[in-house]
Amino acid sequence: MNFNVFVALTVNGLAMGVIYALLAMGLILLIRAVGVMNFAQGDLLMLGAYITCWLTVDLELPFWLMVLVALLCFAVVGLIFMFSVYWPLRNASYPAATVIATMGASMVLKELVTLLWGSLPRSMPSLVRTEDGSAAVLQIGSINLQWQYVLTILVGIVIMALVFFLFEKMYVGKMMQAAAQDAYAASMLGIPTIATIAVTYIVVVIMVSVGGYMIAPIFMVSTTLGSLQLRAFAGVVIGGFGNIKGAIIGSLLVGLIESFSTLQFSSYKDVTVFMVLIIFLLVRPQGIFGERIADKA
Amino acid sequence: MKPILRLEQVSKRFGGVVAADDVTFELMPGKVKGLIGPNGAGKSTLLNLISGIYAPDGGDIYFDERKITQTPAHKRARMGIGRTFQTPRFLQRSSIRDNFLLGTDLGDKLGYFKSYLGCRGSDFDKEFEKLLQITHLEFDWEDDINSLPFGKRKLLEIVRAMLAHPRVMLIDEPAAGLNNKEGEYVMDMIRYASREQGIGVMLIEHSMEMVMNICDDIVVLSFGKVIAKDEPKAIATNPVVIEAYLGEETDD
Amino acid sequence: MVNGQRKISLGTLVVFALVAAFVLIVPSVTSGYSMMIVNLSLIYAIATYGLSVMLGMGGMLSFAAVSFMGGGAYWVANLCTGRLGVSMEPWLALLLAPVVFAVVGFIIGSILLKLNGTYFTFATIALVQVAWCLFQNYRPLFGGPDGISGIATLEMFGLKITSYTQWFYVLAAITLIVALLVERIRRTQLGRSLAAIRDNQTAAQILGVDVYHTKVIAFTIAAALGALSGALYCLQGRFVSSDMFTFERATQFIIMAMLGGVNDTFGIFLGSVLITVLPESLRVLQKYLKIVYGTAIILLMIFMPMGIMGAIKDGFKKMRRKKREALMNVAREVKP
Repeated sequence: MNFNVFVALTVNGLAMGVIYALLAMGLILLIRAVGVMNFAQGDLLMLGAYITCWLTVDLELPFWLMVLVALLCFAVVGLIFMFSVYWPLRNASYPAATVIATMGASMVLKELVTLLWGSLPRSMPSLVRTEDGSAAVLQIGSINLQWQYVLTILVGIVIMALVFFLFEKMYVGKMMQAAAQDAYAASMLGIPTIATIAVTYIVVVIMVSVGGYMIAPIFMVSTTLGSLQLRAFAGVVIGGFGNIKGAIIGSLLVGLIESFSTLQFSSYKDVTVFMVLIIFLLVRPQGIFGERIADKA
Repeated sequence: MKPILRLEQVSKRFGGVVAADDVTFELMPGKVKGLIGPNGAGKSTLLNLISGIYAPDGGDIYFDERKITQTPAHKRARMGIGRTFQTPRFLQRSSIRDNFLLGTDLGDKLGYFKSYLGCRGSDFDKEFEKLLQITHLEFDWEDDINSLPFGKRKLLEIVRAMLAHPRVMLIDEPAAGLNNKEGEYVMDMIRYASREQGIGVMLIEHSMEMVMNICDDIVVLSFGKVIAKDEPKAIATNPVVIEAYLGEETDD
Repeated sequence: MVNGQRKISLGTLVVFALVAAFVLIVPSVTSGYSMMIVNLSLIYAIATYGLSVMLGMGGMLSFAAVSFMGGGAYWVANLCTGRLGVSMEPWLALLLAPVVFAVVGFIIGSILLKLNGTYFTFATIALVQVAWCLFQNYRPLFGGPDGISGIATLEMFGLKITSYTQWFYVLAAITLIVALLVERIRRTQLGRSLAAIRDNQTAAQILGVDVYHTKVIAFTIAAALGALSGALYCLQGRFVSSDMFTFERATQFIIMAMLGGVNDTFGIFLGSVLITVLPESLRVLQKYLKIVYGTAIILLMIFMPMGIMGAIKDGFKKMRRKKREALMNVAREVKP
């Protein structure tokens, strides 16, 4: 394999991996906070892409204003999502009820965006453009990289670092973990569980929506973006359930496997990714993270 | 006579907590063995080890002189180890009938198939009447199990376990949540099981009155360790036991 | 007593009356395209019955139904076109599909059910993706993106089944048989054991239920029903392609089951008809119907997780209890 191809595939794989990682990290945060697997995660990303596309392309807002309005929208979406699909179901008697409600939400979101913005895929300009408006290319020596991919990786890393810091290191995060582990004790300590859960939902929606914004120029903005969540599921499992670091690494791995498998059997990349997932589940259901990574590092 | 159940140096730990520490005792058929001890002494853990919900970290369990340490829980149930829980566990949203039919005739490899084709299960109507007589239960078969009050459900769980023809019964706090009368019925039931049916009964119970009344001998656990094994009278005056219990009270 | 026969209840009679009305009335008021949609809803119902066994009785969330449906469909497609050099009478291929995929399902289930809960669900998602990707790309067996067409006509008892109305009768009969078979499972030891696993795995073991084995049996049944559904789909449309067997379709099956009532035999049928037929017959509303369904699912999960039929049953149970309580109160007043 030619070195340039290798670098390009790595960058593409990492960019996709970062998107999966944003989804996966959000999934884990929700599982930790409320114990619910969210089957509308990819649709939230899709909604983020649609909202930013609407603000940028239709309303032509300047960048800073677009960011501000978008963040506000995402926060509202997060709250609506929580109060419709999670909160009324928190004491559900049928265990699968909350999970299936998220499937209903997935259906609603897909239809909602087609009603609002039509069923045709929409295109979104790249963040960095040449003068004629096409996507700009970053040239390092003989290697050509799409700016959008590079930016996706950078933005993704920054967001994940921020969220990681918020949830793992800061007081807020400690409180949230307390609330997740023992709602009763947390409420006795004066930690309002409803607030911590709401913050979790808002943060999760913001992070996946930003993922949607970054990926929109690479793909088109359409309802099929929702299916990206399946790869994130794979990342979560490969990385080890419930472990943020593992989910990120697992997702990056999924992105890379996917990217490199295009070399050999491009149409079978799903087979590769998901066979890896099944093998992981059977051989090592606790995921890779922990011993094995440590062994090799 | 040979013991129906024998534990040999059984131990189990959860992380740093020792839930069972070198526990050794045997249970004779037709006898009632009380299992007492302060909260968190590992009584329920021991029942879970015997019924196969947990695997022990060390030691061995024998049922009818056969080693069952590695036998899965459902097979132990089919061999004849019955069990009831502190809070009765039934099928939700199902009729009392369905709850009773479950757990009968599962020993058969083709059980599902036979049942599907309508082969009748064991006819236990007569036996059933006897058991219902002892427990003074009355109900409608088609009713939802949850329409029965807690006490009745608890009695029913014992009846259900009895119908599987166990040779060992593990009964976890049968009197908790029951009124005096229902408590009496439980005792009648345990007497019937042991004296008349020859079942070896292991009983966890907080009501000392019941334990002293009905048990042939008692094992006292504290922090997973057996601290005394004796007849009820001797246990009541055993200084080690009194200390363990007093220690608990000052803790609370 | 405990083994006594159950009485045939009023509810059962109502259900039978509704089914009879459906079979008698539908073919006289529909034909052509809309008949095909009704047929499709029956085909989906057959696969969804498998889900009812897995999710409704056993509480296991599985997406795998579509993959077995695909398996059954391509099985028939290959054998009834002779494209691999082997050909078979359509009725024989149809009959063999559930048998063959019961074996396949047994093997796959034995592997996947080593996993518990969410892990198992994820494994079935992976299975769906792998199968779909193979269906879409592997030309020798699945025809690739173009799919497979030119499938022979089903011929039964010397009669060629060609029109959608003829197909309706065939499908209605098969769906009814499947529904009765599934209802029988619910009422016998397998159904009860699955319910025990759903409600409390530990308690199930204590009662002597072999949890793993029972789950594998349920998975095998679901696989067989999926394959049967797929085989019928392929024979009716005489065409098959991969976009039938996507993850979205799997979600749709789950939503159907939950809408009608995942643990109710009539509910499964109701859910399939509602989700498949209504969007077509209410063209005006079609634009909004999916939103309505999505919202309905969320509301159902909040207010009545056992679906429409579950809610109806609960209502009747409450009425019965109230009636009895009233009777008992009367008795109490009379006694002293």
